[in-house]
Amino acid sequence: MQSVPPTLVPLSDIVVPRPRPPELYRTTVLDEEISFLGLKALLGVADENKAGDRNAGLAAKSVRHREAARTILSSLTLRHLYDHPLTDDDGSVDSVMRVNYTIDHAVFAEIESMTVGGLKNHLLRSPGAESARVGKALTGVMAAALAKICDVHELIFLARRIPRSTKARTTLGLPGTLSSRLQPNHPTDDLRGITLLLYWGLSMGAGDALLGINPAIDTVENISGLLRHLDKVRRKTGVPTQICVLGHVKTQLACLERGAPVEILFQSLAGTEKTLTAEFDVTVELLDQGYRTMREKGALGPDARQFMYFETGQGSEFTYGKHHGIDMTTTEALCYGLARRYDPFMVNNVTGFIGPETHLDNFEMIVSNLQDHFMGKLLGLPMGMAPCFTLHSHITLEGQQMATQMLTAAGANYYMDVALNTDRMLAYFDTSGHDDQTLRELYGKRVTPEYEAWAIERGIFRKEEDGSLARGPNWGNLRQFLSSDAELEGLVATTPALHGFENAGPRPADEVSRRVRLHQAVGREATQSVLCIDALQEVVDLRVIATEAHSKEAHLHSPYLGARVAEAHRAALVSEHRQVQILVSDGLSAEAVHHNAGELLPVLLDGLNARGITMGKPILAPNGRVKLSEDIADLVQCDLVICLIGERPGGDALASRSLSAYLVYCLRDDETRRKAAAFSGNPEARFEYTVLSNIYTGGLPPLEAGGVIAEKVFEVLERRAAGNRLEALLSS
Amino acid sequence: MVASAMMVRNCVTGRVELRRLTEEYRSVPVFTPLREGRIDEGAVVALLERWLAEGGLQGKEIFGGGALITGLSAQRDNAAALSSLLRARLGDAILVAIGDANLESWMAFLGSAARLSRRHPEVEIVNLDMGGGTTNLALGIDGEVRRTGCFFVGARHLQVEPGTYRIVAMSRYARALLDHLGIARGPGDTLSSGDVDAVLSFYVELLEAAVTGRAEPFTTPVARLHLHTDLGLEPPAPRVPRVVTLSGGVGALVYDKLRGAPWPPATCFGDLGIDLAQRILASDVLARDLASWIPDHFGRATVFGMMRHSMDISGATVFLSSPSVLPLRDLPILGRLGSDADAERVHALLRLVRETPSGGCLRIEWLGPALAAIRRLGALLGDELRARPLRPEQALVLFVAENVGKTLGQYVSDWGKSPVRLVVIDEVVVKDARFAQIGRMKDHVVPVWYHGLD
Repeated sequence: MQSVPPTLVPLSDIVVPRPRPPELYRTTVLDEEISFLGLKALLGVADENKAGDRNAGLAAKSVRHREAARTILSSLTLRHLYDHPLTDDDGSVDSVMRVNYTIDHAVFAEIESMTVGGLKNHLLRSPGAESARVGKALTGVMAAALAKICDVHELIFLARRIPRSTKARTTLGLPGTLSSRLQPNHPTDDLRGITLLLYWGLSMGAGDALLGINPAIDTVENISGLLRHLDKVRRKTGVPTQICVLGHVKTQLACLERGAPVEILFQSLAGTEKTLTAEFDVTVELLDQGYRTMREKGALGPDARQFMYFETGQGSEFTYGKHHGIDMTTTEALCYGLARRYDPFMVNNVTGFIGPETHLDNFEMIVSNLQDHFMGKLLGLPMGMAPCFTLHSHITLEGQQMATQMLTAAGANYYMDVALNTDRMLAYFDTSGHDDQTLRELYGKRVTPEYEAWAIERGIFRKEEDGSLARGPNWGNLRQFLSSDAELEGLVATTPALHGFENAGPRPADEVSRRVRLHQAVGREATQSVLCIDALQEVVDLRVIATEAHSKEAHLHSPYLGARVAEAHRAALVSEHRQVQILVSDGLSAEAVHHNAGELLPVLLDGLNARGITMGKPILAPNGRVKLSEDIADLVQCDLVICLIGERPGGDALASRSLSAYLVYCLRDDETRRKAAAFSGNPEARFEYTVLSNIYTGGLPPLEAGGVIAEKVFEVLERRAAGNRLEALLSS
Repeated sequence: MVASAMMVRNCVTGRVELRRLTEEYRSVPVFTPLREGRIDEGAVVALLERWLAEGGLQGKEIFGGGALITGLSAQRDNAAALSSLLRARLGDAILVAIGDANLESWMAFLGSAARLSRRHPEVEIVNLDMGGGTTNLALGIDGEVRRTGCFFVGARHLQVEPGTYRIVAMSRYARALLDHLGIARGPGDTLSSGDVDAVLSFYVELLEAAVTGRAEPFTTPVARLHLHTDLGLEPPAPRVPRVVTLSGGVGALVYDKLRGAPWPPATCFGDLGIDLAQRILASDVLARDLASWIPDHFGRATVFGMMRHSMDISGATVFLSSPSVLPLRDLPILGRLGSDADAERVHALLRLVRETPSGGCLRIEWLGPALAAIRRLGALLGDELRARPLRPEQALVLFVAENVGKTLGQYVSDWGKSPVRLVVIDEVVVKDARFAQIGRMKDHVVPVWYHGLD
C-alpha cells in the first residue's frame, strides 16, 4: 500500500523532451510499403477499429495496415516514445502530457532500451510485482502503445497480476475483493428517491467502495445538501464506506469550505489540456489545489491515505473536437498519467457512456474497457470499471455483461451499482447491484473487510463453513432500513423506472427483468424509428428537406452530419425574412415527434397566427440535430427557429416519446449582438437558445406544450432575446 | 410557528411538491389578549413582532402561511380588523380564516394525528383540539378525516385572576352554564372548588359524550347552546377501536404532564385550562389511550397542519394575463363548467362572477381534455367576456385538474389580446371549499389556499 506523497512536483520542474518534427515510420508487407507520418498516426492505426477513431480519421484503413502499425510500434524503444512527446495542434506539449512525464527515472533507465514488444514479453515472463514496479516508469503513451499490441488474454492476464489497493475510511482493492460504488442518481436530486436507491443497494451488499451521487444540479447548496444526506444515511445505517457527490471540483471545494462532509474529492479528467480546461473547466493547478486542500481539510482527516476520485472514459477528447489527432486509447492513457499524480482512492472508467460516435458496438466497448483497465492498473491506479451504453448505440446489455465477466477475470477493483442497470438521471445503462453480486458469487469475490463484517451483522451476507461469503437472509430486503411500508411507499412515489424489488438468487426476478428489458427495447426502437412523413403532413403542411446524414445509421453515428442541410436541398431554402420558422426533426426519437406533433403543432400555429406572427412553411428534416436550426436560420433568414426534436431515450418506455422544443434566436442586428455579447461575455455568439424539454404525456403534455411554446415565442420576439438573457429581462 | 420547505418537482408525477417541511420555530402558546371584551390589537401586534423576530422572519418573503381566528376570538366584534391587521403585516401570502370551525378541526387532525392514524388504519382516531373557547373535534381513519364538529368547551370561558379563582370575565356560554348549575357568581366573585368541579364535570361529560358518540348529554338547552357545529358522531362500530388524541393548548398541557413535567401553578394562565387538563387525565374515557397514542408534535400542530393540508401548489404552467394579477384573496368558488357547457351555462356562471366585487373562481371539469374541447370552451368564455367584460377590479380564476392551464388561458384570452384579468391554475384538485386565495408566483408555481370547507 502506498503512502500519500508529501508534495506534488511543480509542473515547471517536470522535464519533457523538446517536440520533434513528425517522423516517418515505414514497413513492408509482402510487396507493399506501408508508412505512417508521426507517432500519433502510428498509434491511431495500431489500435482496434473503433468509431471515435474512424470518425477522427485515425483508424486503420485495413487489418493489414493495423498489423503493420503494430509491428512498427512493437519495435520502437521506450526511449523513442519518451523522446517524442505528443503535442497539441499548436505543436506544444500541454500540461496533461507534461504531468505524464512524472515517472520513476531510475526504473526508466533500466528499461529505456526495451522495445514495446520486448516490454510486453518481459512483463508476461515476470511476476506481477514487476509490472507494478515498471509501471511507475511509464508515461501514458507507453502504456497505450503496450495496450495496442496486447490481445484480450494478455490484457486480462497482465492486469490481473497488478493488485492496487487504497485506503480512505475503508480499504478498497484488496486481492479477492470485488467492490461497488452505489450510484443512486435521481433526475431531480430528490432525497426520497436517492434514499430508496441507497437502501436498495445496501441491501444487496453494494456501496462498499463508495456511496456516490452524480448530481442533477451542480450548486454549492444542492451538493452540500446531498453530502449531508449521504452522511446521514451512512451514520444511520452504520455502513462502513465513503461518500461523495460528483459535482465540479470547484463546487465541492466550496462545499468543503462551508463545512460539508467532503470525504472524497471527485473530478472528471480528460487526456488533453484543451479538453480539460475548455470543456471541464479544470486545470492541473486547480487539481493540485484540490488535492492539497483535501490533504489538509478533507472530512476523513489523516486516516485516509487516499481521497481523490477521478472519472475517465475513452472518447471525450474526440467528442469535443480537442484530441489533437491523438487516438482515443492514447488520450485515455494520458488521463491516467494525470490521475496518477494525485494517488487517487478510486478511478472510474465509463467507456461506452458517450454513444455510437465513439463506441459503436459491443466489441469496441469491450476492447476499450479491457485496454483501459490494463493501462490504468499498469500506471498504478485503482481501477473501477463501468462498462456502459446508451440506447442509440449498438451496445447491448449482453455485451456489457460479457465485459464485466472479462473485467472481473482481469481483477477490476469495483463496478457501479445502478439499480436495475438504469441510470435515472443520465439516461444510460451501467452495471447493477445484481450484476455485482452475481460476479462475486461466480468468481468467489468478497466485499471490503469492513463492509463484510457490517453486512454479516445485518444478515445481508453470511459466512459459509468453508469461509466463503454467501447471500444472507436479508440480502435484497430493503425494508430492513425502513420503519414502515408507508415510508417505502413515500420513497417509491418519487423514484422513476422502478420495475420491482423481487429477486431470484443474485439476479432480479424474471418478471422484473422482463419489464426492464421491455422498457429498454421500446427506448432502443425509438432511436431507430423513422419519421412517418405522410402522417405528419396530415397534421400540418410541411416542406421536407434532407440533412447530410443520408441514413439513420449515419445520423446516429455522427453528431455533425444532421446539423447541416444536404447540398441538394440548400438551394430550395432561400431568404424569406419571416419572423418564425418551425423545424420538426426526429433527433434521437422519431416516436417523440409522432406522439406529440398532432396536438402540439395545431395549438402552436393557432397562437402564432392569432398574434399575426409571420412564418415560413414548417420544415420537416429527417435525421436532424438541434444545430440544424442554425443552418436553416442562415438560409431562410428568419428571426427565430422553433426546433421540435426527439430527445435521447432512457430507461423509461414512456419517456422515449419525449420531445424538446429549442427556440433558436438569431442575433441579427448589431445592437442585439452587442447586448448578447455583454450578457454572455462571448462576442462570437450568433444565436441564443431557450429550451423547453420533457414534452410528452408523462411530462409536459403536448396540448399544454403548444401554449407554453407560443407564449415563450411571444416573449422572445418582444424582448429580442432568448435563453438566460431573456429570463433575466423577464425577471427584471 | 415558522416552517421552511423546499419546492421540488416529483419526477414521477411531474408535480411540484413541498419537501423537507421543517419546523424552524414555535412560539410559546399564549391565549388571545383581550381588553374590554375585544381583541387587544396592540398586544397582538406586539406578539406578532416578537414571534417574527424570534422566528427569523423579519424582512423575509413569506411563501405561504395561515392564521386562524377561532373560537371565542372569532366572535369578538373586531375579529375582522384583526384579519386586516395580520394581512397588512404579513402580506397576502397568508390565509386568514375567521370562525371556520370545520376547517380548524380538519387541519388539527391532519397536522397532529394524521400520521398516527395512517400508521394504525385499524382504529378510529378522535382528535380533540382544545383551546380557550372551543373544542374542535375530528374523527379520522387511515389519515382521512371522516367527521368534524365543534363545541364551546374550552379553558377561557371563565377568566380568572392568575393564581386565584376570582372571576375576571366570563363568556355568555359560561354565564349560561353557571345559571344552569345554580352557581350565582359573576366577575369579582371567587369560584369555590365545588363550582370549578361542577363546571369541569359538565365539560368532561360533553367531551366524553362526543368521543363515544352519545347524543343524550347534548339534549339539554345549555348543552345545545354549547354546540357550535353538529358533531354527527355515532358510537364506535363493533371491533373498531376508537382512540382519543388531543391537540391545542389544553392538549399540550396534558402531554407535557404525561412526559413528566409538573403541573403549572393553578390558574397561572388566568383561566381553567390547567384544571381542565387535570380532569381530562382523570377521565377513564378520555385518558385511556393518551399515554400510548401520541400524536405528532404532542398535539401542537394545528397551524402546521394548515400549512401542509390546506394549501395546494399549482402546476408549473399556470396562465396569468399579467404577472401583477396575483395575489388574489378570498375569491368565491362559484361553480363548475363541464366540457359540454353551452353558451347559456357560461353566461350564467360569468354573471355570478360579475356580481361579486373582486370576481370569482370556476372549476373546469372534463374527461381527458382534447384540443377541440379546449378550443370550444376557450371560445365560449372568450366570447362571453368580450360581450360582457368584467370590471377592471374583477378577476376570473379557472381551476383545472389536468395540465392544460397555459393553453386554456391562451384560448380564453385570445392569445393574450383580451384585457380580462385571467388566471388559469392547473393540476389542482379543488377541495369542497367556498373560497380560494392565490399567492404570488414563485418558481413558476403558485400556492392556492382553500377555506370555508363544506
